[in-house]
Amino acid sequence: MIAALLATPQPMSVHLAHASAWAVFAVGAVLILSGALGVVLLRNPVHCALMLVITLFGIALEFIDQSADFLAAVQIIVYAGAVVILFLFVIMFLGVDRRERFMREPFRGQKPLAVILGLITLAEILVLSRVGNWSTGQHGVAGDLNGPGENIQKLGQSIYTRYLLPFEMTSALLVIAVVATVVLARQQSRAPSELTKDEQAGVAAAAADKAEAKR
Amino acid sequence: MTGDPLFAHGLNLAVWIILVVKVIAVFAIVMVSVLFMVMYERWAVAWLGVRHGPNRAGPRGSLQSLADGVKLFFKEAFTPARADKVIYKAAPYIALAPAILAMSIVPFGGTITVAGHTTRLQLVDPPWGILFFLMCSGVAVYGIMLAGWSSGAKYSLLASVRASAQMVSYEAVLGLTIATVVVVTGSVHTSAIVAAQHGGFLWHWNIIHTALIPFALYSIAATAEITRAPFDLVEAEEEISGGFNMEYSSIGFALFYLAEYANLVVQAALITTLWLGGPDGPRIAGNSVGPLWFFIKVMVLLYIFIWIRATLPRVRYDQLMELGWKRLIPASLAMLMIVAGFQVGRWWGLAAFGGSLLGFALLLRAIDVGQDASAMEVQISADAEIPSGRGASS
Amino acid sequence: MDQYLPIVLLLVVALAFAAGSFAASKLLGPSRPTGAKTGPYESGIVPQAPVAARFPVRFFLVAMIFIIFDIEVIFLYPWAVIYHQLNTFGLAEMAAFALVVFVSFAYLVSNGALDWGPVKKLARKAPVNLTRTTTSTVRRVPRPDQLIDGMSPRPVDSEPEPTAEPVGAGAPEA
Repeated sequence: MIAALLATPQPMSVHLAHASAWAVFAVGAVLILSGALGVVLLRNPVHCALMLVITLFGIALEFIDQSADFLAAVQIIVYAGAVVILFLFVIMFLGVDRRERFMREPFRGQKPLAVILGLITLAEILVLSRVGNWSTGQHGVAGDLNGPGENIQKLGQSIYTRYLLPFEMTSALLVIAVVATVVLARQQSRAPSELTKDEQAGVAAAAADKAEAKR
Repeated sequence: MTGDPLFAHGLNLAVWIILVVKVIAVFAIVMVSVLFMVMYERWAVAWLGVRHGPNRAGPRGSLQSLADGVKLFFKEAFTPARADKVIYKAAPYIALAPAILAMSIVPFGGTITVAGHTTRLQLVDPPWGILFFLMCSGVAVYGIMLAGWSSGAKYSLLASVRASAQMVSYEAVLGLTIATVVVVTGSVHTSAIVAAQHGGFLWHWNIIHTALIPFALYSIAATAEITRAPFDLVEAEEEISGGFNMEYSSIGFALFYLAEYANLVVQAALITTLWLGGPDGPRIAGNSVGPLWFFIKVMVLLYIFIWIRATLPRVRYDQLMELGWKRLIPASLAMLMIVAGFQVGRWWGLAAFGGSLLGFALLLRAIDVGQDASAMEVQISADAEIPSGRGASS
Repeated sequence: MDQYLPIVLLLVVALAFAAGSFAASKLLGPSRPTGAKTGPYESGIVPQAPVAARFPVRFFLVAMIFIIFDIEVIFLYPWAVIYHQLNTFGLAEMAAFALVVFVSFAYLVSNGALDWGPVKKLARKAPVNLTRTTTSTVRRVPRPDQLIDGMSPRPVDSEPEPTAEPVGAGAPEA
């Protein structure tokens, strides 16, 4: 490698730039796929959440590969730094972390449905990658990300002029999130007879855990 | 302007060598400053407490922290029986990496030219700019959270719950106050932030440009973010018998300790960069003394951190959370709007100030109503627990 | 993308340092684990039950609210970078956004969702209980003729004690 670098002391060749872009893509793809598999296959929910973080880092790498630097930062700061932290709070501190319970599936026929939806998504992605340049963003309406100027500035100009209304509507979304949080957190405790079947099963499981802990 | 000019002509061997030297240098700076900081703190706290500090290892005890570090290598490292082995082993790495990485965006001075290659005295100036630091402090939460959880001990878990809620709360303040700096500067790059403050001692610094208050808010939040005294509830010995790293021995403990002090040094460096002009200072012998000014500012800030630790008692957890959520976050949001207002015109600034006052009144009312709601809840739960007997009012 | 190269290198150096330290510690330090060492440390007391499972809901609220503020902070940066171009328009649009976020924050605070205060302090602020009257509060002292043998008091009232109290009502301090 050093020999190759010595051989090309002058401006970086297109070939090398391509190679490094491919390398970053490959590393990102491996991280995404291994993380995703880990989320599905690992048993301990905390491990699953950490695998999700690995996937998010992989996605950030792919964003960097696409010169979408700011989105990469958002990916890590918001998703890894806040959303998965919330997941971990819930998993760790509600005591579901020791072992997951596969009591019964919340939806009947969940697994075949997941397989079918997955196949449809895959087919869509494959078709869209062939039809036009949808997946490469060349027909993007917001303008080209390439060219001079900073990524974050272009994004700002786009959001705060042309896409102002969606931006302001985001604040309404945040309000809904706050209200929902308060409503869920302040739910009054109900009598056992008012619980749904799933909730009763959860209560029974918690009681079993408690009994086991005492033993 | 953006990015390090080192990469302008592609990567050849000379660039790689410069790069590796810079990487090693930044790593060494963090390590040496941590070793120094441990000593500095022990000396200064001893001096403030009118007693002798470390004075055995080396001249005036100056090798004490090195001796402590070497000692830890010879201690037994064991894994608790109830630990989650993989995460228990990984947590020190996760804690250490962001602490050291955050140093990479700090500009120590201007540019130097080595063998025809011009480079900044700053390891890296990525397009993320200061957002890279926000990312590091976001990832740092994982180290503490996972360490406490994976140890499988009650008090470690309690400490890590406290710590992660605390760090997460104060991260919002950091983000809002740094945004104030970005409003004034118009760039997220640390190099641009420093360049905008250059020339003219003090008067161009962001501490003046943003009217002092965001600087104060940032400093308080930074102290809490790195869980320094008086916000060191993570390791309140008398309440939770240790801290999130209680179950770590030997080098695992040493790495957490290292990360803690690295975070402290990085915060001092970032406060200097963001608010105190970075390497800007009175010109003596041209521009070459920039790193010296930087060093002096960091030393003063570190002393202030120690001074605060020696002076203030630890806050209670409810005080910590109330300070963070009900004071600092609204205040930093208000200051952001006020500074942004004054950037476009005096009357706009005054309007933002008036709006902030209204918001402040609304918030006071909300706090009052909220406390009534909590009090009602407390009473209802007290009555529900003891159905026939003394109510909460007795 | 080259700009990220030093970060990767520094990350590698940091992780290598940590891994090297662990390796050195393994070589240099002893390894004699015992049950007492590897058990959870609880100030010398043998732990009776496993790790506590549940924590107050306020911790989750904090994490949830943090997401909202984090999203706002992230929106602030592209805005701040081009703020001087947007000028008063930028001020107005961010003021509108910040106002909505602030109002939802105030709503949260007014629900007491961010109150961490000690129970005593909160209970002291509890509204006055209107069902408390003199008869329910003042302790009734038996008159001399109600005493048996002039010594021990008879039951003060023959009426039975109220068994169940309505929720929120003060109970008599008989």
